[in-house]
Amino acid sequence: MTLEVVEKHLELLIGPQHPGSGHMRLVAKLDGDIIVGFDPDVGFVHRAVEKIAETKGYVQIIPLVERPPLVDCVNVNLGYVLALEKLLGVEPPPQASYLRVLAAELNRVASHLYGIAIHAIMIGSSTMFMWPLADREVLLELLQDLSGARVTYSYVIPGGVRRGLPEGFKEKALKAFRYLRRRLRDYDDLFLSNPVTVNRLRGVGVIEMRDAVNLGIVGPNLRASGVPYDVRRAEPYCVYSDLDFEVMTRREGDAYSRLLVRIGEIEQSMKIVEQCLDKNPSGPILHESFLRGLSPKARAYMEQTGRVRFPALFSALKPPQGEVSVRVEAGRGELFFYVVSDGSPTPYRLRMVTPSFRNLAAFRHVMVGNRLADIPAIYGSLDYFPPEADR
Amino acid sequence: MRLGLPDIKAHVRASETALKYLTAKPRITVPYPEALLELPQGYRGMVKLNVETCISCTQCARICPSNAIKMHKRERKRLPGINYQRCIFCGFCVDICPVIALEFTDVHDLAFHTLPEHLFEPEGFAKGPPPPHVARGTRKVRTEIDEVRGFKYE
Amino acid sequence: MMDSIEGFVNVILGLLFTPQIFVPLVYPGLLTAAVMAIVIIWLERKVAAKVQLRYGPLYVTKRMGGVTQLVADLIKFFFAEVIVPRDVDKLPFKLGPALLLTFSLLPVVALPVSGQFEAFRSDATLFLAVALLSVGPIYVIIVGWASNNKFALIGGLREGYLLVCYELPVFISALAMAVLYGSLDLVELVRMQGPGLWGALLNPFAAVSFLVATFMSTSRFPFEIAEAESEIVMGPYTEYSGICYGLCMAYSYIKLYVKSILFALVFLGGWLPTVWPFTLDPTLPGLIVAFKAAAVMLVGVFLRAVYPRYRIDQALQIGWRPLFALSTASLVWSLFMVGVKVGGWV
Repeated sequence: MTLEVVEKHLELLIGPQHPGSGHMRLVAKLDGDIIVGFDPDVGFVHRAVEKIAETKGYVQIIPLVERPPLVDCVNVNLGYVLALEKLLGVEPPPQASYLRVLAAELNRVASHLYGIAIHAIMIGSSTMFMWPLADREVLLELLQDLSGARVTYSYVIPGGVRRGLPEGFKEKALKAFRYLRRRLRDYDDLFLSNPVTVNRLRGVGVIEMRDAVNLGIVGPNLRASGVPYDVRRAEPYCVYSDLDFEVMTRREGDAYSRLLVRIGEIEQSMKIVEQCLDKNPSGPILHESFLRGLSPKARAYMEQTGRVRFPALFSALKPPQGEVSVRVEAGRGELFFYVVSDGSPTPYRLRMVTPSFRNLAAFRHVMVGNRLADIPAIYGSLDYFPPEADR
Repeated sequence: MRLGLPDIKAHVRASETALKYLTAKPRITVPYPEALLELPQGYRGMVKLNVETCISCTQCARICPSNAIKMHKRERKRLPGINYQRCIFCGFCVDICPVIALEFTDVHDLAFHTLPEHLFEPEGFAKGPPPPHVARGTRKVRTEIDEVRGFKYE
Repeated sequence: MMDSIEGFVNVILGLLFTPQIFVPLVYPGLLTAAVMAIVIIWLERKVAAKVQLRYGPLYVTKRMGGVTQLVADLIKFFFAEVIVPRDVDKLPFKLGPALLLTFSLLPVVALPVSGQFEAFRSDATLFLAVALLSVGPIYVIIVGWASNNKFALIGGLREGYLLVCYELPVFISALAMAVLYGSLDLVELVRMQGPGLWGALLNPFAAVSFLVATFMSTSRFPFEIAEAESEIVMGPYTEYSGICYGLCMAYSYIKLYVKSILFALVFLGGWLPTVWPFTLDPTLPGLIVAFKAAAVMLVGVFLRAVYPRYRIDQALQIGWRPLFALSTASLVWSLFMVGVKVGGWV
């Protein structure tokens, strides 16, 4: 009698050439429709950002670290510049801090809208894919007025920000927020209360509170599992300690609650921006130690246009020796920077732990036991962005 | 899944919302190339050099994060030239120039036929980027944020 | 000489307009199905685009809003290379799309254009139409199996599960209508939906269950499960390219078209109301049926802009629990209505 070994489980490679996989490969072992094994295969978009940073000057790294998260660049920019300022021992003037928070929160809204759009197209709702991306255009218009570009603004520099608030920005922003609030009601009618969405997402991909903490996932995924942790409250940076906002938390931990946490955070970010616009103190937007060497012509230009001139120091910035670590709350979660300087114009080591990299731990844990069709639903709800995780 | 009656009201509300947009709202798309977006002041487009003001301090070449600006020897000065294949439009060079010799234009059309066309020598850099081809009958529109429609174009 | 040419032309025209040739080839057959597929796919893209605040197909014939976009797509498909992978099961792979399209269009022979114009007269045309509808989906499974691709296999199996699930409500709803009107003949059914007694009004349960089962069988959102793009690439049609892909895509729209005509005949009063002597038989009745079918198709494609897609087990639960119960309830309701009529009320 001979025994024949037959493979019972189907191994499905949802690879990089797949409409629903992003820039990564998901290896799923299926028993019929149920997933019994799951393994994300990442690294397709690795661009050696940390290594390249060892060859560039400190100010030149600003556009470099902005590129991995792409949709969410101001927060990463802010984190890196806070680390650099800690090394330099420089504190930005108050108006600059308010402008930093304003840009960061506008970017957070844009990042969440993008995440919701990707989630929606993965479960099939093409309308909910187009609508948040169209509304993101309104925010990109505001950020374009503020910084001059639509993405990767490089807005935050050591010592302050690059441009002040332009004329009429406050009215435009308030109009845009009224429009966005109206649209949030439409999202609710069409997508969030849609019985098909609720059936697809409720109870799917549940992460218990204990598992969420043990796996180390961050951001809205953590807050949707019941842990009210937000770096803006735990270790306030910039002016977050003066601002009044809620940390959105939900208890169920399923894909639907992650979606609702993101929608709630959009509303909270709009509240923060409105507070920043109200409280906006007047004053310089760059630290005065950087303004010392500027010529009178440059100073007149700064007065006239509200745009900062860089000091020549920036092209060869040499912070004192030391190491520093900084945490910020990016759109997708907690972002951690560790910079080691050895007194030369380039850093000795730049370590950047992005939120998507930390959320990767959730994939293996949460997918097993769900069905094949839940893979895009859970992937979209975790808001995993491969370029950010791979750096 | 609930075995009860389906939530008819939610279904109807979803269809109603979609119908509302089917019948009422105009489109957010700009019908390029019949309409061309007018870019705001201070948009970070391609860069232009003012040769008389330049003092050859080479700060722009030092700060450029992607090494797109290189200095070329011209008579007694060194003048910057730019490689648009590498330029990331960050605007650091414009902001660091101590004599404000570089300025943004509002051209961002970056398509050339050959690689040498991407490399702008100081003469080309001073002339500025070639103006984009605009078809006849194109109208310029400016976006304006509107409460009800999101964007209004005029 | 002229007489013989005129006679020849007369013979050709007469041949063309005989029902047996006209119905399968022109209306509601091949030609109209092709035109309807082109228009309805264009409408789907336009309607979805308008809801999503964008333009949809615009540039092909700009003045008409891009309506011939699909013709351009079809021409592109004809010129694209048909790639047959090395390890597929050759015969089913190559024949599959053609057979799919044929069997999806076949029920058209049983559909009458008007009271006097139909391909063949029989007293069981409703039964014939519904039976022919159930042959097509088997080829989806065959095509998915023959493609030697895990995604195609999963897509084909999903269609297999759904096939058993949606055929039952279709049959039972059709049976309920036959019981209500006491006949299986489509011409008879339309005639009996006399002044204002449309099938949908008399038996709304059957209308709803037939409609939902139609959307389930033709991959309209929220039941676009066999070809769920973000999960299994293109489902059973993953390995197809060129004109074979075009045929596979046309399959679900042509099936929607046939089922919409059936729905219009059985539930929406067919070619009524036409008042004698303005019947203009068979042109006007044909146009009325076409408009009603187009309205049903429009509802089907509008749903793309509203709903995400269901998971396979959720769709099966819908099919076997509420939908099956609804169609059985419609049968009971029909029996009740017939009893009431016999009692002398109606």
